Amino acid sequence: MKHSKEFLLDLHKQLIRGRLMEQKLLDTYAQGRVPGHIHSGIGQEAAFLGVLATKQEGDYWKPVHRMHSLAFLMGMDEDMYWQELLGKKGGNSGGRGGMLHIGDRKTGFMGFSATLGNDAGVCVGTAMAIDYDNKPNVVYMFMGDGTSSRGPVYEAINMAKIWNLPVLFICENNQFAISTPASYSIPVKDALAGRASGWELPTKVVEGTDVLAVYDAAKELTDNMRKGGGPAILETKSYRWRGHFEGDSCSYRDPEVTKWYMENKDCLKIFEAKLAEEGILPSQEEIDAFKAAFDKQMDEAILRAEAAPEMDPSEIFDGLYA
Amino acid sequence: MKVTYSKAIGDALKEEMRRDDRIVMIGEDVAQWGNIFGITRGMYEEFGPKRIRNTPITENAITSCALGAAIGGLRPCFELMYSDFTMCAFTELFHLIPKWRYMHGPDFKVPLVIRCASGASNGSGAEHSNPVECLFMHAPGLTIINPSCAYDAKGLLKSAIRSDNPVLFCEPKQLYQVKQEIDEDVYNSDYTIPIGVADVKRTGKDVTLVAIGLMVPRALEAAEKLALDGIDVEVIDPRTLAPLDTDTLFTSARKTHKVAVVEESNKTAGIGAELAAQFQEELYYELDAPVKRIAALDVPMPYNLNMEHYSIPTVDRIIASVRELVNS
Repeated sequence: MKHSKEFLLDLHKQLIRGRLMEQKLLDTYAQGRVPGHIHSGIGQEAAFLGVLATKQEGDYWKPVHRMHSLAFLMGMDEDMYWQELLGKKGGNSGGRGGMLHIGDRKTGFMGFSATLGNDAGVCVGTAMAIDYDNKPNVVYMFMGDGTSSRGPVYEAINMAKIWNLPVLFICENNQFAISTPASYSIPVKDALAGRASGWELPTKVVEGTDVLAVYDAAKELTDNMRKGGGPAILETKSYRWRGHFEGDSCSYRDPEVTKWYMENKDCLKIFEAKLAEEGILPSQEEIDAFKAAFDKQMDEAILRAEAAPEMDPSEIFDGLYA
Repeated sequence: MKVTYSKAIGDALKEEMRRDDRIVMIGEDVAQWGNIFGITRGMYEEFGPKRIRNTPITENAITSCALGAAIGGLRPCFELMYSDFTMCAFTELFHLIPKWRYMHGPDFKVPLVIRCASGASNGSGAEHSNPVECLFMHAPGLTIINPSCAYDAKGLLKSAIRSDNPVLFCEPKQLYQVKQEIDEDVYNSDYTIPIGVADVKRTGKDVTLVAIGLMVPRALEAAEKLALDGIDVEVIDPRTLAPLDTDTLFTSARKTHKVAVVEESNKTAGIGAELAAQFQEELYYELDAPVKRIAALDVPMPYNLNMEHYSIPTVDRIIASVRELVNS
């Protein structure tokens, strides 16, 4: 076996957590308990969690707007996480940034710009600091296929390349930029890998629903980066199960195609089939017990966050200047 | 000793980089060539390629890189060459840099400086002559500084670099070669000037003239000429446009009851518009006349030198405007 049993089972647990948490976010939102907009990453968990499995202490992670659960899955304080998401005082910014601006220095979750792509250069700057301190760390810069059309991304890649900085530019290509299909707006096969090919960076394009394929690709690329190999590109291919945000009816696409992906390209089912093949899939009872315990943990955390106070509007200027 | 504005900027940069090895600089042509105005000359040789880096023409990347470097624990002091190019990086300077700490929480301190050469000079034309302070005064969280003399430039740049807040530092390029007499011991004393504190450059009792950047020396010259006619003008340089030292401005207006604002940027929605609004909100019954705005004409800056000079407030235009105010 190429990967240890322990590693595979941990990854399985992460995938379950990711799926349950994305589902919990959808349910909580549907109940009217979330103030902002949910951009669900359900169905795309493997693309993110396969990469996350390569993250080391001291690395930085620049998320994308999809899959809000990631900060928690990489170890952010549970109460701080849920309180930010629900706009409460105990969140990382007191609920003033919201779910798109979950940030946690402890885990290296460095925050996000909702002006998509302009934060690519931010990652280059952080990588510059890593380089300045001669550390073996990397910065994970995530974007979607939509963002891969933005100019600042390519300014950032260019700068990372000329200075040989450790940024992994990752395009999670789920084939849609809000309603616009990649097949229309991206005139080449691979959104980022194809268009950034001129820089001749180490590049991998993988099936985003195969968590081990994602992990293996990200591991090889980041191992090389940690040894001074410079920036690299990873593109993962998946399909967005939900709308751009909740409430998007997806009238612009064929529901039969979505259904096909959900039935045939479910990353959790695919991985469980592989574990079963290897003879190490936990029993259904074990899986159910794990799910029930995690579900309970989330419900309790959400109730605590809902009961927590909000910032008083009079505190609106607090922290504007350091 | 006689010190030019550009030498004061260069000395502040060098002294700060010697003091703190977390300070790094990147920008277009700042390394071997020493920037297009010669300000960073010798720094590449002294501090080396890890601390002084040339960049391609990529203002988005330069500016966002400053934010990332700050998040990563450095203290970036980056350069955007012309103030006009801040608009290439408007998203970074408006959305990302001033908001990052507020959006992500107090753990995300953003100690950074973006320097740029500001305003018109010698036929730079419509896209290389624009002061931008008023555009960014609309971005809460950003500190905006525009010093009007070598002494202030050095002290304020040091404070900017030592600040834990992001700073947009605008250097009027017509001032670069202007010399100022400064006591040598004072100049070399590692002094700083606090951010957010205006300076009364000339005391007077008849009119408060708020002047910004390049307009400060012109306002002072106008004031001396007006004094010959018995008009006693108080010239105040805010130095920091955000946060603005309204206490000093209002105290002066309470004394003189007449206020004019002179700036190098366009009149419409300029700094004077904002200050006039603040004066009338706070001091409506103290004012004997409407606040006068003296500003650049609302046109793209012409290349023709006569028209360039016509566009920006001159000493004569300031004098005429102040007379109008006094006689109103």
